[in-house]
Amino acid sequence: MQEEKPPKAGGSPVVELRDLHKSFGALEVLKGVSFTAREGEVISLIGSSGSGKSTLLRCINMLEVPDRGDVLIDGETIKLRGEGQGRQVADEAQIRRIRSELGMVFQSFNLWAHMTVLQNVMEAPLVVQGRQRAEVEAEARAMLDKVGIGTKCDAYPSQLSGGQQQRAAIARALCINPRVMLFDEPTSALDPELEVEVLRVIKVLADEGRSMVLVTHDMEFARSVSDKVIFLHHGLIEEQGTPGEVFSATKSARLKQFLNAASHG
Amino acid sequence: MIDDIAFWFGYLTNGKHLTWYASFQFTIFAALMGGTLAVVFGLAGATMKNSRFFPLRLLGTIYSSIVRGVPDVLFFLFFPLAFEQGVEWLISTQVCSPAAIAAQTAAWPPCKEANWFLGTTEYLILASVSLGLVYGAFASNVIHGALRSVPAGQLEAARAYGMSPRQVLWRIHIRQMWVYALPGLSNVWMLIIKATSLLSLLQIADIVLWADRLGAPNFLPAVGLVHEDWRWRYYLVLFVFYILVTWLSERAFEAIMRRAGRGMLSEART
Repeated sequence: MQEEKPPKAGGSPVVELRDLHKSFGALEVLKGVSFTAREGEVISLIGSSGSGKSTLLRCINMLEVPDRGDVLIDGETIKLRGEGQGRQVADEAQIRRIRSELGMVFQSFNLWAHMTVLQNVMEAPLVVQGRQRAEVEAEARAMLDKVGIGTKCDAYPSQLSGGQQQRAAIARALCINPRVMLFDEPTSALDPELEVEVLRVIKVLADEGRSMVLVTHDMEFARSVSDKVIFLHHGLIEEQGTPGEVFSATKSARLKQFLNAASHG
Repeated sequence: MIDDIAFWFGYLTNGKHLTWYASFQFTIFAALMGGTLAVVFGLAGATMKNSRFFPLRLLGTIYSSIVRGVPDVLFFLFFPLAFEQGVEWLISTQVCSPAAIAAQTAAWPPCKEANWFLGTTEYLILASVSLGLVYGAFASNVIHGALRSVPAGQLEAARAYGMSPRQVLWRIHIRQMWVYALPGLSNVWMLIIKATSLLSLLQIADIVLWADRLGAPNFLPAVGLVHEDWRWRYYLVLFVFYILVTWLSERAFEAIMRRAGRGMLSEART
């Protein structure tokens, strides 16, 4: 997985973050982060634990509401009201519409335990997007085939391995036809041999030209899959650029240190 | 031998005994309606306790903490009577003329027109409602705890996919809550079953009252002593009935648990 992607001509911005600040109590996790993800781009967020990369990702769909700054999806600003840590979503209908177009994949899968795999994948298209059952079911089965667990449709998540569960979660994200896919450390809860099968699926999606924002610990993978890599340190962007710039022509001393530790860890 | 069988058959199917058998329906009705209402009140109380709106949260907390402490016997007597007199007072403000009030000699109701006659059916419904209210407070505590046991990630995923708060509550939160609530709710159900033996306190001729009447020493002037104190025999029948109900309930709860726990119970085992 050493080869890098060829540079891509930028499409229109799908996710735009402007000067995001976020604190939990007295702990300041994000100290003013901005970046833009364009159509078809794959952006990886890297950094040590506590650098704020997961929080940043969760701000995109407002699972965490930033204390300051704006999030724009397809050029539309998510409306917020209030100040500082009391800030909250102002328009419930807007956030539900926007969320229904952001496919999120969690570190701990978070498949709904009381539903079969197929029901998990069909849930959001049916009850949030209000689409036709027959059409959704055909698409859900196709997506499950695509991630390689088409035979597990009627199993419950607890009957699957971690790798299978995460692939089902990716199928769930795909089935809403997302504008952007958000991956929050998708392989961190998996054993190495299960990690590979999930990474392979994500790689296929990246090569299809899907827009993605990916939080990851896996530097090899970030290098092979990304158009742009962002290194976060203590809540600020320390360095960003193409994988070549970030991994091979590293400028920041902190990033060098981090990459060293990562390759030996 | 044949005569004996014929005698006992006749004795056990006489009018009083048939009424006794029929009175089992009151007990079963009170248990089923009380149980259903307890779950409804429990869900309402638990969701109120989780509400973001302070007055609702306060109401939910007051309900589950105060009502749990009130003895069920007391509530059983208090609620139906208070409700009855409350309705009578409401009627009296509409129908009683000053002359009628002046003419009324008894202390209550304020005038004769405001009298609300309650029969067995009405008392039975009021009794079931008070069972539901008392045990709903226990159920709301059980359900409140069960709601908090649902893993946060399950709800977060639902929000992340654009579900409304109501969809998250009903499709994910309450649906997964049952697995954690059922053991506690089965306890509450057993308490309700037991409490149905209090129906006779409200002058409902239920199984306990009839067992009491039928078992008491029976003396007829024409025949002499028909039988002496047989109450323990009749109580034994009730005893067996309640054990049977308990056994049936446990089977039912096991079946419900299997259904509600699909996909979740095997997860707990691994």
